[in-house]
Amino acid sequence: MRLISTDKTLAHLEERVKYFAGQMGRTLPEIRFFILDQLEFASLLEKHVYPTSPVNIWEGKRMVTKKFRIESGQESALYYEVVQTGNPSYAYLNNTNSAMMQASVMAHVVGHCEFSELNVLKDSNPDRTEYVMYLVKKVNAGQQQMGEKKYLTYWNACESVIPLISPHSQYNLDHSVEGDIHPRKQSKPSPDEIKSKEYYRPFSFTMENLLKTSDPLNAFEKEQQKKNHQEQISRTGFRLYRPCQDILGFLKNYAPTSRAEQAILDYMYVSHSTHDFVIRTQIMNEGWAMYWEKKIMLELFKEKAVKGIIDYSKVFSGVCAPRPFFMRNPYHLGYHLWNHIEELYQKGKVSLDYMEEMDVETRRKWNKETGLNPLECMNHLVRTITDYEFIRRFLTEDLVYEFHLNRIIKQHAEHYGINKEAVVKENNYYVWLDPKMVKEEMLSFFTHFQRPRIYVIDTDFIDGGLLLFHRNDGRVLRKTWIEPTLKNINYIWKSAVSLLSGEKLYSYSNRKFEERAMKEVPFEQVLERLDNNQKPISL
Amino acid sequence: MLEDKISSNESEGAFNDFIEDKIEDAIEEILNEGNLDTLGDKGSEIIIEMDDIVPPTFVYGDEGQGGGKGGRGPGREGGKIVFNLPFNRFMQLLKEKLHLPNLLKEGKGKIKEVSYEFKTFGTTGVILDKKRTFKRALRSSIGTGKYNPVENDYTVDFRRRDRRYKIPERVENPKFKAVVFYMGDISYSTHGQRLEMEKRLVNFIKNWLDFNYGVNNVEHRFFVHDIKAYEVQEQEFYKVGNIGGTRAYIVFDLIYQIAFNEYDISSTNFYGFYFGDGEIFGSDSKDIGKILKESIVPVFNRVGILEVLPSQWSKLVLDLSKDFIKDRIVRLSKIHRKSDTINAIKTLFQEI
Repeated sequence: MRLISTDKTLAHLEERVKYFAGQMGRTLPEIRFFILDQLEFASLLEKHVYPTSPVNIWEGKRMVTKKFRIESGQESALYYEVVQTGNPSYAYLNNTNSAMMQASVMAHVVGHCEFSELNVLKDSNPDRTEYVMYLVKKVNAGQQQMGEKKYLTYWNACESVIPLISPHSQYNLDHSVEGDIHPRKQSKPSPDEIKSKEYYRPFSFTMENLLKTSDPLNAFEKEQQKKNHQEQISRTGFRLYRPCQDILGFLKNYAPTSRAEQAILDYMYVSHSTHDFVIRTQIMNEGWAMYWEKKIMLELFKEKAVKGIIDYSKVFSGVCAPRPFFMRNPYHLGYHLWNHIEELYQKGKVSLDYMEEMDVETRRKWNKETGLNPLECMNHLVRTITDYEFIRRFLTEDLVYEFHLNRIIKQHAEHYGINKEAVVKENNYYVWLDPKMVKEEMLSFFTHFQRPRIYVIDTDFIDGGLLLFHRNDGRVLRKTWIEPTLKNINYIWKSAVSLLSGEKLYSYSNRKFEERAMKEVPFEQVLERLDNNQKPISL
Repeated sequence: MLEDKISSNESEGAFNDFIEDKIEDAIEEILNEGNLDTLGDKGSEIIIEMDDIVPPTFVYGDEGQGGGKGGRGPGREGGKIVFNLPFNRFMQLLKEKLHLPNLLKEGKGKIKEVSYEFKTFGTTGVILDKKRTFKRALRSSIGTGKYNPVENDYTVDFRRRDRRYKIPERVENPKFKAVVFYMGDISYSTHGQRLEMEKRLVNFIKNWLDFNYGVNNVEHRFFVHDIKAYEVQEQEFYKVGNIGGTRAYIVFDLIYQIAFNEYDISSTNFYGFYFGDGEIFGSDSKDIGKILKESIVPVFNRVGILEVLPSQWSKLVLDLSKDFIKDRIVRLSKIHRKSDTINAIKTLFQEI
């Protein structure tokens, strides 16, 4: 691994890329480029794009497999771009790429870094890489303290909980747990709450005050509740007032741990927390990066800083090749959507007049100045929305056709068992599905990202144990994996752990696994009971 | 961080250690069950399959999946991972597990194996040592001022006198030769479980001796007997049918004659292994004991006599044990079931 300054050509290209990014008004953090060889690249990816990681067999296994696959030609060792955003951001270049490819990678990285800085989910983090490196040292020190076996057991237990991380969920720690670390955030009042709110009168409005009656019993209950809450926080350090979907975060903050165990949890959480950001904004993020990559590369080609525009075009078209919606290509979808949005703002199609225009031909030829700067509008979108809203707002049925999202090769459609009723058009080679259905499917992905939604809903269930809740989404959990997962969570929580899934309650405590039947409880009921400061489930 | 290296070597090492443990467990299982069928062709790699390891978590799954044949729980989701274990490594592990010593080899120094190793370097030769040559050339260039990075001059002059060549040196290593005689009694039915046990043992003995001497240094010869003794091919060793009657002494006599007449006794290591049901008649066991004591033991490194699935009339091992109890050369064993295979191997090859 070496700094980009050790290569004159690349250092020059870096300077030009940053110059043009500045000229185009991009908001960039400090970006540090490094050059790696192929195996270093593979290793970096296994370390979640951080230069170091604690010793663990899972990374070892993935690397051994990957090396074998690279050596036997089953996998290419050529990677496009890898960047760890933050301030400073760390970007890594593959030393086997040509100068033109390196320039395109740098331009692409510029887009990612800016997106991370500006996005509504506030992904950017000062010194994230340095912090992770610090945590790695802590974990390695902890390994010495814990001993090899205990360290391995605890690490393996934590691996079970990694998928249960959701820092950007509406049920994250900030909105579900109050305590010393997370004081309760006041959520925005609903319209009903705003309506029912009393308006302040001048203090001398005596009649109003005389007629206002306060229920002493209600006031007493409220006071008692407040006292109980404070006592609970004082006793345990936290109080769960809503379901918490960020289970790894919850365990990190509130599980009883030794220093070494805490270091492992901290490392796991910080190194994996960006996955949630990626999955919620991948289309916008990759599209933004491709959009600015192209702009910067065209400037570089104009000033002849790099050569090979034909090769670049081939690579670009390959990266942005269309794919059906169920294996969508975020580069393709994001890039074309951003271009479409730019065109919309340029032609004044994001306006009330346009929305109200019924004539198809007029709409098609619409081109009116609205005084809006398209780039500023796009920046605003980056700052305010995620992929769900991006697709909901801008992906029309016409665009579904245009981007070939609903087009599938006929043979593949038969292989995938596509419902014939969903097919609206076909020829000898392709079938086209209903675009409305396609859009709905794409939006539904963002409901749960094809993963079970599990929440912590009680921290004092059986013998001070944890109660997890599997929210019904029409699918069941793999039964054979429930026990070992609960066992691992039990190992971290050091107390009983239960999972309510459908009509079954699974519990793990004292090395015993139990399963019993229960009446199914809807998630809304759990929410309501927690809102009313009641136990969500009682046996 | 001007120049550093990102690597997962430590994690790979941890994983390799983990797999070594798993492989040892797998071998332990093989040995406990006497399941030596996993041994492949001599010298080939052993393929060990084990369940892939995957951390369990909450995932979607269809109802009932995982019930089946037991093995679809966590850690089984990824299917199998396959490891090629080099033959020598596998035999080394077996040796450690069974506490088998290296076989004593005779004939040291009599037969030499010649090879050439590149241990020295010189100014003339055929094979250029590029690294050394470059180092010398670089040193010379620096000395003469031609290589000057300060002034961006990276010229390295390769002069004739800088060239260094690898020079081969003749190395003589003692080569040990071994001959193994496998003897089988075909006067009883050799099929089914008996056949499997015999095959398993013969396979192990072959591999063990190949491991100790080197695959190309061991000659394996197969003999069978009923009332006559004759040499056969390996495949026929298990197939030859029942003629009737038995006289075991003659095969011992035959192998001794062959060892004496066809090989140099002073430089060849001889091994003999007899497989039978132990049902012998008359003075057969007495004759065998005599030829062992007088002729075979002074010449052979190891002789093994194994009764495979003996019956109530089996007495070969019983009779011979009077003369050869805890003998260094002659080892006696009985195999009643598959799991006795390992004990038999230990009896044959462990130090007393």
